[in-house]
Amino acid sequence: MASAASSTSQRGQVDLVDFVDWSGVECLNQSGSHSIANALKQGYRDDDGLHLASDSDEQLLIYIPFTQMIKLHSIVIKGPEEEGPKTVKLFSNKEHMGFSNVGDYPPSDTVVLSDEQLKGQPVILKYVKFQNVRSLTIFVEDNQGGDDVTTVHKIALFGTTVDTTNMKDLKKIEDH
Amino acid sequence: MVLEATMICLDNSEWMRNGDYSPNRFQAQCDAVNLICGAKTQSNPENTVGVMTMAGKGVRVLVTPTSDLGKILACMHGLEIGGESNLTAAIQVAQLALKHRQNKRQQQRIIVFVGSPIKYDKKILESLGKKLKKNNVALDIVDFGESDDGKPEKLESMVSAVNNSDSSHIVHIPPGQNALSDVLISTPIFTGEEGGSGFAAAAAAAAATAGSMGGFDFGVDPNVDPELALALRVSMEEERARQEAAAKKAAEEASTKEKGDAGASGSTDAIMTEADKGAQDDEAALLQQALAMSMDDAKPMSDISTTDPDLALALQMSVEAAKEDSGSQSDMNKVLGDQSFVSSILSSLPGVDPNDPSVKSLLDSLQPEQEKKEDKSDKSEEK
Repeated sequence: MASAASSTSQRGQVDLVDFVDWSGVECLNQSGSHSIANALKQGYRDDDGLHLASDSDEQLLIYIPFTQMIKLHSIVIKGPEEEGPKTVKLFSNKEHMGFSNVGDYPPSDTVVLSDEQLKGQPVILKYVKFQNVRSLTIFVEDNQGGDDVTTVHKIALFGTTVDTTNMKDLKKIEDH
Repeated sequence: MVLEATMICLDNSEWMRNGDYSPNRFQAQCDAVNLICGAKTQSNPENTVGVMTMAGKGVRVLVTPTSDLGKILACMHGLEIGGESNLTAAIQVAQLALKHRQNKRQQQRIIVFVGSPIKYDKKILESLGKKLKKNNVALDIVDFGESDDGKPEKLESMVSAVNNSDSSHIVHIPPGQNALSDVLISTPIFTGEEGGSGFAAAAAAAAATAGSMGGFDFGVDPNVDPELALALRVSMEEERARQEAAAKKAAEEASTKEKGDAGASGSTDAIMTEADKGAQDDEAALLQQALAMSMDDAKPMSDISTTDPDLALALQMSVEAAKEDSGSQSDMNKVLGDQSFVSSILSSLPGVDPNDPSVKSLLDSLQPEQEKKEDKSDKSEEK
């Protein structure tokens, strides 16, 4: 079924890192030296020396807006065994959440990460819930070991764009 | 220029009646708040500021974060002093108010004025600080008024718990000569991070150092009134340029005058040889001055302070000569052309020996010049 996370592993799913609106990416409770870019950005996320770490306590709230509407299919979260995230809640299209209102809405999906998933196995999500996603909020509730600091090495999102008429692709076909 | 939403927590508890800050703690606090509001709204027009009380009738938000300075200043009217201030509740309410700010792009900041003793222990304050940090809220504390044991340390520990890359500050202000607001102006609470210090610098110049305009070229702050400052600078430069041009012109005039007016130049030359040794520049300068003044319209010669009366006489003659027409000029030349007259003048001059060969040669050269001059003047008269 799902092989190791290659960019088009699952039937046309694309790595959505290209569609992330970087100016709006926010992460609450991140440590100053270990920021969200280390886990999200191309290049940084594959570097095991760089990781995202939490600050005051073990929770993290990551807000990722996209440049266009996307459908989210699966997610890869890589982290160390002990400090990697355990319970992860995903909210679609909820702007600027805070730790105080994570309990106010039901999450679009909840994932409890196993050890294999922490090593890089993609987690298939409830596709029907993520059909027209403008922004994604990832709430890391706790970590595997129950420590004060949660560490994340990589976060990768896979899916497709709703707006499939990518103008560049269109040109290529016409050039035929 | 950081885009910020700020909530200011006022302490209006009973301890604010004390007069150790003039006129009383509460008034000093209000002045400081007014200044802070002004600074925040000026540094970025999209900044919003809200105000709330910690004591009095209870923890109340007087005005939610707004960029309307008038509203903010008006809401502090008629506040009552009384009760005890509830620090933890106030900070939590402030956090909530910031959470519901309209522009989510604004950074969140809380400024707390703590003038009364704190009844909470360190742990609670630290956990509160951590919570603020988790929600990315910066905290500034102004510690003034009461200073019982432990208050500064408690507040310090709170700020260090909140602090995330130096965005939170604490200031301790003991009672003394300077007003609360004056001391605050120089702190990072007021000046923010690098940017926004333009207003602070202006306020510092205007308010803190009573009256002295230290630092600004023309006594006008470029930030407060840029057009006026620019106009002053331009007019200063124009004046300087004009003076230079005038001096240059005077120098040119001086050189031409010396050539044209032989008689005057003869005596001045003699005086020049007398006071020679490098002092020629002084003479030239004085001559320039005289000419400049003649151009400005006959000012009394007393302005030129000169110890040598003969020099004064010579200068006067040159000035008059510049004014009068060629006819009288030739008369003057004739007078000076008289050998005996010149030699008598020269003999009266200290340090000039008429029998000195250089002086004699000068006189000789003077004669043919005079003749030439007379010819010229005759010709002009014939015209």
